[in-house]
Amino acid sequence: MKQLRNASFPVLLLLILVVTLALFRLPVVDSLKLLFAGSFGDQYGWSRTAVKSTPLLLTGLGMVVAWRGGMYNIGGEGQFIVGGLCGAAVAKWCVFSAHPLPVGLGTALILTACVLGGAGYAWLAGWLYIRRGVEVVISTILLNFIALQVLGYACSGPLQEVKKQVPLSDALPDTWMLHKLNRQMDVHSGVFMALGVALAVYVLLFRTKLGYKIRLVGENARMARANRLDVDRSRLTAIVLSGALCGFAGGIEYMGMAGQVGAGFSQQWGFLGIPVALLGGLHPLICLGSATVFGALFAGSENLARFTQAGATLVYVIQAVTVLGYVGIKAVSDRRVVQEAG
Amino acid sequence: MSRLTVSQLTKRFGALTALDDVSLAFEAGEIHAVLGENGAGKSTLMHVMSGFLTPDSGEVLLDGKKIPVGFAFQCKHLGIEMIHQHFTLVPAFTVAENLALARLDGLAHITDSKELAAKALSIADKLGWRIDPDARTGQLSVGQQQRLEILKAISGDASVLIFDEPTAVLAPHEVDDLFRVLAELKSQGKCVILIAHKLTEVLSIADRVSVLRRGKLIASEIRSNVDAQTLAEWMVGELPSRDDVPQGVAGDICVQASNLSVLGDRGETSVRGVHFEIRKGEILGFGGVDGNGQVELAECLSQIRKPSSGEIQWHFSNQKQAIGYIPQDRHVDGLALNLSIEENMLVTALDDEKLVSGPFLNLKEVRAWANRLVQNYSVKAADASVAAGSLSGGNQQKVIVSRTLDQNPELLVVLNPGRGLDIKATDYVHQMILEARTRGTAVALFSTDLDELYKLSSRVVFMVGGKLVEDEGALSLVGGAP
Repeated sequence: MKQLRNASFPVLLLLILVVTLALFRLPVVDSLKLLFAGSFGDQYGWSRTAVKSTPLLLTGLGMVVAWRGGMYNIGGEGQFIVGGLCGAAVAKWCVFSAHPLPVGLGTALILTACVLGGAGYAWLAGWLYIRRGVEVVISTILLNFIALQVLGYACSGPLQEVKKQVPLSDALPDTWMLHKLNRQMDVHSGVFMALGVALAVYVLLFRTKLGYKIRLVGENARMARANRLDVDRSRLTAIVLSGALCGFAGGIEYMGMAGQVGAGFSQQWGFLGIPVALLGGLHPLICLGSATVFGALFAGSENLARFTQAGATLVYVIQAVTVLGYVGIKAVSDRRVVQEAG
Repeated sequence: MSRLTVSQLTKRFGALTALDDVSLAFEAGEIHAVLGENGAGKSTLMHVMSGFLTPDSGEVLLDGKKIPVGFAFQCKHLGIEMIHQHFTLVPAFTVAENLALARLDGLAHITDSKELAAKALSIADKLGWRIDPDARTGQLSVGQQQRLEILKAISGDASVLIFDEPTAVLAPHEVDDLFRVLAELKSQGKCVILIAHKLTEVLSIADRVSVLRRGKLIASEIRSNVDAQTLAEWMVGELPSRDDVPQGVAGDICVQASNLSVLGDRGETSVRGVHFEIRKGEILGFGGVDGNGQVELAECLSQIRKPSSGEIQWHFSNQKQAIGYIPQDRHVDGLALNLSIEENMLVTALDDEKLVSGPFLNLKEVRAWANRLVQNYSVKAADASVAAGSLSGGNQQKVIVSRTLDQNPELLVVLNPGRGLDIKATDYVHQMILEARTRGTAVALFSTDLDELYKLSSRVVFMVGGKLVEDEGALSLVGGAP
């Protein structure tokens, strides 16, 4: 059943694409060609797909770690933003001061700050759950809003650019942006860091004692308790790691693409990590595929928007339909499994 | 002619026979109690009679006429109503709305809920129950909610009323009131069927008592022919003579408790100042009805739950994984059903340096080790990589037993190891526990099944209301927990 579901996914996706395009009254074949050309048509398409997939992959991995551990983190968005903000704050000090640090050291410091910022923000939700019994779903959703407000404040307050004209932080100089392979293309070194992180998350979850404990607690916390494992600690680890990954995603977006933070810093990358993780079956390596699919849709729809009236909205519609379709199929197949077992 | 008759009912769940050729007759104007320990088949029988379960063979007759089995809605129409232990009320509805719901024929006839509830409310008046039809159901006490359940059932002219352990949730004065109503229903000519495991209650109200044990009907007698002692023996089986009890060779003290008290999940004192010691190579059996502090004491012995007062001391030669714990509920505390067998086994072996080196798991070693356990303990599975949830109950229990005993624990704490297993699997698990004892493990065996308890234990004590009673005369309390 599981294999069948995985195999049927590309077919399902294509079907959804066709139906959605038809509903939008777009010429189906031509639109598909445009989508494909924009995402995988040439090296520029590939490059756009890669940079759009990167934040999706990282926040998706964040969701995988948390959800596997039974902590339903919906706060990827907030952790992403806080990560980016912390990066911009450290940049203010080590890039835009009278005596800037060397680029290598500064980059490492900024990215570390992003990771710690996201982790710390997620730790709040974990602490609230363990000490006060506040559901993680609720607290992380609310923390998203707080993060957005703090972002708005910071960009028109302490972190605003020197001229104080627009609500954005100072733009990083080109030399401080993550290394690009080719000046014509967007692909930056962050893409490869994300691939490494995906592998690391896989090893963590399935090859280490820590990951095993996280998964065990997520599957059955009472069983873990009956075997004298520290349930609270595993849960806290899961959500803090999750926040760290989302914060890192914010850092990569800041140093790789945006170069500055403002109200529109996160294009819902944190939220989109959830469908990426779900379609990736909560498996880090399958998430490589699901993140690429969604990244390609974003890249392709930019191309589509150039020639038709459809814009990025199309991507959100397709995402929504795929997720609903996936959840529906899973519910049916799970019920079948239960019936077979019962 | 009897109002309701079941004949030659058999119901199997996998390898477990829950009902084994049971035939019984229930009369109008009579309170008929069906007794049995947990897992004896009472609930299965009731669910077959009320149409919630389809039996593998046998039939149900109402007033001599065969009725279709396995159709709950049809049974309701024919006048067979079940009053569930877990209420089937909508908490957000008012009392009147819940009562109306039971009388609703279809969505086409939604009318004023008070009108639909009128009959039930007038019955409540006659019974002397003061019930506010506008109150929110979720805010009522458990006793009041049960009254609603009863009203729902009797407002529709049911002729057969099946009560599933109705007193389990009630305070003593509420029990008295319930019995008054049961007597009233009896005098109206209803056929009242009462599932129970408390002997004293059954003896005070029933006209006829039937006893089930392990799916078989042991006896069906009128009230005047039985007493508590007889019923207890029917329920738990005859005691083997003490000479047959395996003694083992008791060694040094392994665990010692003095004046030990333990709190339950809701902060209530579940274990009240108990004293005992368990020596290496002996099995101390803790008998008694569920819910008298067994789980709390077992968890305290296993260092999962801390004592609230008193003292408990363990004497281990090696602290790592010295305690093996086989929990009562395989699905809740024993296994992560979505994870593989090997992942479920690994949980007890996380300190094993061959399987876990530093922070990393040696997946190959883990798999080889798990496959070896699967073979040695004859777990029926293709290999150790399949999900634990896909195994039968007996094989799931073997997974737990194997991972626990593989650690050679110095203290083994076991709760109802044979519950829900077929005879073969039960024997196997028992054999494993006896072998562990022979190797010098101290065993704390908690069981509600007296056969199991006496078959395995070197010494037996009973848990009653959180206290330990050493007296064998406490047996008559087995069916009558406080």
